[in-house]
This record gives sequence, C-alpha cells and structure tokens, in this order.
Amino acid sequence: MSKQLSSGVAHLLKKAKVPVFNGYGKLDGTQANGRRKVLVSQDGAAPTTLTAQHVILATGARARVLPGLEPDGKLIWSYKEALVPEDMPKRLVVIGSGAIGTEFASFYRNMGADVTLVEVAQRILPVEDEEISQLARKAFEKQGIRILTGAQVGTLQKTATEVHIPVTLGDKTETLVADRVISAVGIVGNVENIGLEGTKIQVDRTHVVTDSLCRTGEPGVYAIGDLAGAPWLAHKASHEAVMCVEAIAGKTVHPIDPTKVPGCTYCRPQIASVGYTEAKAKEAGYKVRVGRFPLIANGKALAMGEPDGLIKTVFDAQTGELLGAHMIGAEVTEMIQGYVIARTGELTEAELAETIFPHPTISESMHEAVLAAYDGALHF
Amino acid sequence: MTASVPASAPATTPQVARPTNRIVASPLARRIAASKGVDLASIKGTGPHGRIVKRDVEAAESKASASLPSHAQAAAPVSGGGSRSVPHTTMRKVIARRLSESKATIPHFYVSMDVELDALIALRAQLNALSSDEGQDSFKLSVNDMLIKAAALALKQVPEVNASFTEDAMILHDDADISVAVSLDDGLITPIVRAAERKSLKQISQEAKSLVSRARAGKLKPEEFQGGTFSISNMGMFGVKEFAAIVNPPQAAILAIAAGKRQPVVSGDEIRIATVMTVTLSVDHRAVDGATAAKWLSAFRSIVQSPLALVL
Ligand SMILES: Cc1cc2nc3c(=O)[nH]c(=O)nc-3n(C[C@H](O)[C@H](O)[C@H](O)COP(=O)(O)OP(=O)(O)OC[C@H]3O[C@@H](n4cnc5c(N)ncnc54)[C@H](O)[C@@H]3O)c2cc1C
Repeated sequence: MSKQLSSGVAHLLKKAKVPVFNGYGKLDGTQANGRRKVLVSQDGAAPTTLTAQHVILATGARARVLPGLEPDGKLIWSYKEALVPEDMPKRLVVIGSGAIGTEFASFYRNMGADVTLVEVAQRILPVEDEEISQLARKAFEKQGIRILTGAQVGTLQKTATEVHIPVTLGDKTETLVADRVISAVGIVGNVENIGLEGTKIQVDRTHVVTDSLCRTGEPGVYAIGDLAGAPWLAHKASHEAVMCVEAIAGKTVHPIDPTKVPGCTYCRPQIASVGYTEAKAKEAGYKVRVGRFPLIANGKALAMGEPDGLIKTVFDAQTGELLGAHMIGAEVTEMIQGYVIARTGELTEAELAETIFPHPTISESMHEAVLAAYDGALHF
Repeated sequence: MTASVPASAPATTPQVARPTNRIVASPLARRIAASKGVDLASIKGTGPHGRIVKRDVEAAESKASASLPSHAQAAAPVSGGGSRSVPHTTMRKVIARRLSESKATIPHFYVSMDVELDALIALRAQLNALSSDEGQDSFKLSVNDMLIKAAALALKQVPEVNASFTEDAMILHDDADISVAVSLDDGLITPIVRAAERKSLKQISQEAKSLVSRARAGKLKPEEFQGGTFSISNMGMFGVKEFAAIVNPPQAAILAIAAGKRQPVVSGDEIRIATVMTVTLSVDHRAVDGATAAKWLSAFRSIVQSPLALVL
C-alpha cells in the first residue's frame, strides 16, 4: 500500500514536470550572481551542482538516541524496525509514551504481545489534556498493557535473546525482561552535514529556526517539516510546503498557527486533539468554559460496541472562542477536523450550537460537548 | 394557474437584502469587536479574501489603546516634584477591573433619602444593656449591625431589589446575603452576612465582627466574600455627609450610608432636633426601576425609624 502511495507521488512529480535528483544534498554557498548552490552526491560519484534562487530544506528528523538505550536494530528497536518487524515479540517494552510510543504499544498489544509502556513523565501522552491521558491509561490497562509512569530507565542489558530493563519508580528499582524494546523517546532534526555550518542559519536543539513564513536566517533558504518547528506532523509539514512555495511565488499566505494544527494518535481507542488543553488555556490566562460528553451517552458509539470515550471542549469564557478540543474514542481521528474548521474559521460556541449534526453518528457528541460547556448537553 | 396567483405573491418570497459594502468578518472577530467597542468598518482584514479575523481586531484595539495616553502617563505630575510608581497589588487590580466593569456595563442611577436614627440608637442602648459583661454571650451591637438587618428586612419587603440581571432572565434571590464593605489598608473587601433577614441582631453582630477582623487579617475564605445579593457601604465613621457607591455586580443595588448628624427637622409645623443620616441607593437600572428603588428606601427608612421589627 505504501509502495502504491509513493509511486503515486513520483507520478505526480513527473506530471508536474519536477526534475528529481536522487542523492545526498548539501548547501554549498552562493554563486557570483547570488544564486545558491546545492551539491548532490550519490554512491561516491562526483557530485552534481544545482543552483537556485530559493532552496527549501526538508531533511526531516530521526529517532532520538539516549545513552544506554541505543537501538541495535535487533533487540532494541527504533520506530524504523518497529514498523517492519520480522517476527512478533512476545514480551515488549516500549520506552516513551508520546504519540509514537503509544501507537506501538497499542498495536503490539492488539497483536497479542505482552506490553509494558514506560514513561518518565507523571502521565502517558503528556502533551494531551490530562483527562484524556487518564482515560487512555484506563483503557490501555483494561486491555492488559502495563503502564509505568514517573519511571526512570537505566542502562539496558542484553543477552542473546533478551533485554533487561532497569526501571526506577521513586525509591524502588525493578528490572523488566523483554524480547524486544522500542525506544520512542522523541526525535532530533537532521541538521548535520547539510551545509549549515558557517551560514546565518540558526539551529536550536537540533531544529532549524524559522520565522512564520519558513524563512531561515539566510536569505533564499527556507526550512519546513520536522527539520523546522513543532508540531512534528506530516500534515503540518505538507501545509508548510505549500505555504512556503506560495510565499516564494509572491502569493498572500497565512502563517501556520500551531494551535490550529490537529494531532492524532492512532491507538485504540483513538485520540485526537487541537488547540489548548484546559491546563494550557488557564496557564495562558484564559477564563475557560469546559464541556464534556462521554461516548457512553452516544447511540452510535454504543451500537458499535465502543462506549468508552470522551469529547471535551475548552472555550474562552469571555469571547466564546473554541480554544481547544480533546477527544478519545472510536473514530475521533476522523472527526477532529470539525473542530479544526471551527477554530480556523473562528466560529464561536453560538455557531457550533446552531450547527445541525447528523443522527445517528458519533459526531453528535461533538455538538453535545459544545452545549455542555454552555447550557448543558441534551442527552446527558 | 398563473392567473390565479394573487398579485402580491412575489412579495412573499423571502428577499434578503445584500448590502453592497458588507463587512466580512469571522464570528469571533465580530464578537470581540463588539465587546471592545472596535468599529469593524475601520479595520482591514488579513484573513482569506480580506476577511477580518481575531488578530485584526486585536491589532486595531491595541493600536487604539496605544495612541491614547496610558493612565500612568496621564497621572504623572507635570511639576518637577518627582513621582514614583508603586506596583499594583492583586487586590488593587481586582478592584480596578471589577469597578471599571461595573461602571462601564451597568446603567447606574441613584436615589437618596434622609433617615432619622434616634429610635434605633435608643434601642441599641437598651439591647446592649442586656449583654453580659464578658464571655460567649456578651455582645455589643453597632449601628451598622442593625442597618444590615434593616436592609435585609427591607429586601424581604421589596424582593425585586434582591436580584441579579442576566441577559435572559432576572434572578430573584431568596436569602438576603448582605455584602458589607470593609476598608483595608490597601483596598477593600466585602465579606458577606448570609441570610441576614433570618438572623438575630446578636448573631449578625458576632458574625460581622469575626468577618471584619478576619478580613483585616487577610484570612477570609473565598466563599465568605464571593457571592452576596446586596451590598452596604458605611462611611458614617468618617463624618461623610453623603456619597454614592458603585454597584457590586452581579448584585442589583448597593446602599451608601453617610454619617448620622444632629440637625433640625421640620415635622408638621414644628422644628425639632433629630439625628439624621443620608443614605443613597445605587441601582442597576436594568434590574430595578426608580419607583421600586424609592419603595425600597421607604421600607428601609420605616424599619430604621420604627426599629422594633429588628428584634422580632
Ligand atoms: C512512527 C511514526 C509515526 C508517525 N505517525 C504520524 C501520523 O500518524 N501522522 C502525522 O501527521 N505524522 C506522523 N509522524 C510524523 C511524520 O512522519 C513527520 O512529521 C513527517 O514525515 C515530516 O515530514 P518531513 O518532510 O519534514 O520529513 P521526512 O518525512 O522525514 O522526510 C525527510 C526526507 O529527507 C530525506 N533526507 C534527509 N537528509 C537528506 C539530504 N541531506 N539529502 C537528501 N535527502 C535527505 C530523508 O531520507 C527523508 O526521505 C510519524 C512519525 C513516525 C516516526
């Protein structure tokens, strides 16, 4: 399937008459006429020099490696190996409960592995709203995933077939034993060896510093996607690509507001969110109104046999702005766009309340979660 | 078919007028503009197709407030005597915000009345004489304690004043929870004597005493000063002749009490001497009309001038 998708992209590039040079690219200063040089090398052959008025850097990111947890590709995996396993581990420890770690934990548990999810923060999915984290934890534990939070992992010890993982929880240390470990402790930007040295391009904690239009400190050089700022998401990368090129072409563009970029975690139950969590909204000084609607009160979710879940809305009490929305449950990754449209179009609670949602769908809960923040939900 | 259609039929087709210079703005931008008094027609939108969005309204608003001299600048003395800036306490900020909000959003009006205090003062002396000298049962009623109860009883008689205005409905409160303004070194706070109409003067007195001393010590719990259905502000002890207070939202009214003073009073064809204080009721006109305010003041005056009801 993914082969089909990437050959589709190759076809689109061809159709748009975009020449593709396969190889390792690197900035190489400027020509006399101010055009930028990019060296492309492949297989040790003499590099090709390309020149252009504008260069967009999009080298992405790779898994972060922590000392003691170095992936070896065999017993200790990064996401790369975890995506294409040769065999199913029976006992799996996932280190890190961000979106990636959580997805792998959920996936391998569904495939029947014994999974332990280890997180150094006090809760899993630490960037999500706290209530969502709690519900996710409950759901995963019900499925048999063991979850350790506030947990420090020491240096992994390997035998031929097993990994021993020392985990410190408060004043207790326990050693977990697993067939495989997935290290999912974040990503780092690919900023090395691409010719940034000696330029005005700034790097902050492995990511290229850009302004709201993706410009770097060096005129004519741009950075997008995981190489640039958060959130590290494919749809943000692709939106930036379009915006950056349109800006170069002289069109009017609108900078990306990270609080309008949805984030989805494809675990079971699914998790989706956009904008401020309740805590972040309060921290930012908003007086909030919060609405909650549990999926157990939704007919469709019940009929699907997926009654576990919650839709939560966070509104600015003063203006009615939808500051954030947080969902856990069936199909929520398909539904979050409704709130993203509301947030992007600057709808207030009034328009959302007046919107008619189709019955019987899970999306009706999104309506109820808006009403719940104001006059109260109809069906709960 | 066509012939049978009444001539007026086309006019019944809903026609929505399309003004030519329609303002295109997001619902959120419209709402923020309305609440901050920003004129959308004066703003250039930066959203898709020039749509006015939140950031445009906020930019316009901050530009407008930047072009006005800030209060700090306006307050700076022009003389060469120097000045210093004292950072606001949280309390000062809350006072500033709440009172500005009240004055800006509540249409105030004021009604004053003179009230004779002699009967109440005499009753107070009689009651205080009943107090044991010390211990749990001792009490010393103040005039203010008695006025708290009088106000509460008047609210029972004219319950329309014990109200809060909201966009959708008038909220009428059952209990008369009286917020009593207490001045502090760095501001003021309004602890609440709850359901004062049902409490004895002794209870009110002991409660008020404890609230005031804990207010001055900064030891009130939030529920002891948040809420309340009516406020009293007494500046009698400062010898004030009369004053008007600012309504304490979401309450509908506040009573300003000035100093009682011995003065000549004309009653019938006689001139006699009485202790008279001027009280002024400040009212949220959205909640209470003039006649009702006057009715409340009359009820209050009757109770104070014939104060036996206070001990019933
Ligand atoms: C396991 C996993 C699951 C994820 N799931 C989701 C998800 O569900 N939804 C979502 O939105 N995001 C998801 N992400 C994140 C998403 O993959 C990234 O945000 C997105 O791929 C970033 O796009 P990019 O173009 O910036 O970088 P990349 O997709 O990493 O592309 C960078 C490309 O540049 C190439 N490259 C690097 N250096 C050079 C060089 N010097 N010369 C030439 N080529 C070079 C790399 O080989 C790579 O092909 C996930 C990530 C991981 C790891």
